[in-house]
Amino acid sequence: MNPSLKLALVILIALEVSFTQVWTVNVALIIISLILMFVGHVKWKRLLWLTVVPLFFASALVWSLALQGTTTHHFLIVIFTRMFVYVYMGGLFTQTTNPLTLTRSLEQNAKLPSKFAYGFLAAFNLMPKIQAEVATIKAAALMRGQVLHVWSPQLYFKVILAAMNWSDQLAAAMTSHGFVEGAPRTHAVTVALRARDWWLCGISLILVQVGLFIGLP
Amino acid sequence: MATVAVHSLTFTYPKRSRPVLDDLNVTFPSGKFSLLTGVSGGGKSTLLKLIAGLTPLPTAGSITFDDQPLAEIVPTKRAATVAMLFQEPSTQFTMDTVKNELRFALENQCVDPADIPAKITAALDFIGITDLQDRLLMQLSGGEQQKVALAIIVAMDSDVILLDEPFASIDPPTRLALLEKLVALCTKRGKTIILADHDLSNYDRWVDHLAVLDMGKLTLLSPADTQARFAAFTPDKLQLTHVTLPGELPVSLQGTQLRLGHGERELLAPQDLALFAHQATLITGPNGSGKSTLFRALVRLGKYQGRLTYDGTDIQKLPRKQYARSVGLMFQAASSQFLNVTVAEELALSRKFGNRDYFTAERVQDLLTQLNLAEHTEQIIYSLSSGQQKKLQLLCMLIMAPAVLLLDEPLKGLDFASIQVVMRILTTVQRDLHLTLIMISHQLSGLDDLITLHLALADHHLTYKGAPA
Repeated sequence: MNPSLKLALVILIALEVSFTQVWTVNVALIIISLILMFVGHVKWKRLLWLTVVPLFFASALVWSLALQGTTTHHFLIVIFTRMFVYVYMGGLFTQTTNPLTLTRSLEQNAKLPSKFAYGFLAAFNLMPKIQAEVATIKAAALMRGQVLHVWSPQLYFKVILAAMNWSDQLAAAMTSHGFVEGAPRTHAVTVALRARDWWLCGISLILVQVGLFIGLP
Repeated sequence: MATVAVHSLTFTYPKRSRPVLDDLNVTFPSGKFSLLTGVSGGGKSTLLKLIAGLTPLPTAGSITFDDQPLAEIVPTKRAATVAMLFQEPSTQFTMDTVKNELRFALENQCVDPADIPAKITAALDFIGITDLQDRLLMQLSGGEQQKVALAIIVAMDSDVILLDEPFASIDPPTRLALLEKLVALCTKRGKTIILADHDLSNYDRWVDHLAVLDMGKLTLLSPADTQARFAAFTPDKLQLTHVTLPGELPVSLQGTQLRLGHGERELLAPQDLALFAHQATLITGPNGSGKSTLFRALVRLGKYQGRLTYDGTDIQKLPRKQYARSVGLMFQAASSQFLNVTVAEELALSRKFGNRDYFTAERVQDLLTQLNLAEHTEQIIYSLSSGQQKKLQLLCMLIMAPAVLLLDEPLKGLDFASIQVVMRILTTVQRDLHLTLIMISHQLSGLDDLITLHLALADHHLTYKGAPA
């Protein structure tokens, strides 16, 4: 499916689920997302993470709400399943979408200014670099006898300093390869927005509406 | 074809009083190979960035391409006019793979999508790196990255090609290969090339006029002076008189079947390696051969295969905190070392956890004076010059006095006088505290007093050099 349309669909459904309380639809969405992730060959380890983390938070939330005693069972189930809907649909999107294709689609189909599209891509490509930088800073601190934790301001000071440096470098790199803000560009690879994508998106939305309508008390 | 002309250009960085470029006038002729040299910090990079349009000009029109100011060139045609190859290979890309980066550059020039594949193939063919096209840029070696960056400039068909110390992290054979491609671009395709380099070897056949940039002024040497300058240039030679092969010495760090590599690219083939205690070991080898990678592995910042032990214990089994205090690394980039804002704070941190018995307040003050840093204690670290940062970094790590101190290019960017001082301090502290020093350095002069063992990295293998003990 076209990445921009897929993103829009995921966000729309997530919004709708946030404002309705139909647990059957939530469960249906969870099952569909899981099946699609299986089909998309998402790694087992990734799936396990996507399950364990929300399980912990959803359980904690439900438990504390239950202790309070003012909520119904129905609401507890809705809250519990809603958490999984968010995580699984987010997982489905990120695990089955190539960032570069998404960038190209956002630029070509969603007509997002290329500055934002490539800015997003650059931020994505920066992730491993940031991880390496954090490890380096922590090691440098340890060698000086200082232990930096996730909450140490010094760690953030240094990471921000490094990121500012990278952003300058990246801007220079883009300029030197001919990128000009707002200037027209051609597209070596076109991301198709086919009728099939619109149909798929439309039908999915209708199905969710029908489900919500039937499920509403 | 384009002639680059600079007309009375004065450039001062914000908050600095002395201009980097002072009323500079020069013309780089069309279709010629111009070589720019000068001391580090002399303004070479600044001039190139101004020509490339990466730094805004103080007065528009002070730099022209065939009498046309850069600002008047249509933005989409700018890359076809002038392009730049950076000193640091890995920082010049936006995309993930070689082909995608080439596509990105050509898209920016509004090349018809139908013509893009042919242009990409032609550019890769010209540089001879067709086999790299689907590789991830971040997994390429520095030399390969520079080749890719040059291929992109070839694809963009830029008239003027600027190169800022492009060979700084590249081994000699790759340097020569790239240089030949550049000369071909110049002679066969009429490109104007301006290259900044401090290493003057191998240029004598191709460069007529050497441009020397010093104190903001540029002098164009005559052909005779240029050739004389080339002939006088001899790369630093390594002179080590105290070096012997290691005999029966106590071992500090021991690698067993140690292998280093990024992905499929092997840097160090599996080998056993002993690093000896209380010695000053120098590691030499071509750029990008894996010396820094070895250091990162030794301080548990990088991956390795095989086993590494410190005093007989696997380093992965030692508590992180304890190990970090025993084996320290002076990073190649000074800024990686600092954790605070001012010089005084940084020194205070080192003294808090370091060897306070030896590094008394008086001794630290004395060392600061020797290093010409005494006046700068209240200054913000990041406003120090790169040489001052390097000296402060060394002092901070020496005060920590870990049993093993790894030094990655500790003399990089230092002037001659500073190198002498730094080496004297290093030698004294090493002898007094019996430290184990392991050093990577491309700066080869002045090391003789300190170094006792020499490890050479060649063909993916580390071997000790020198006469038998």
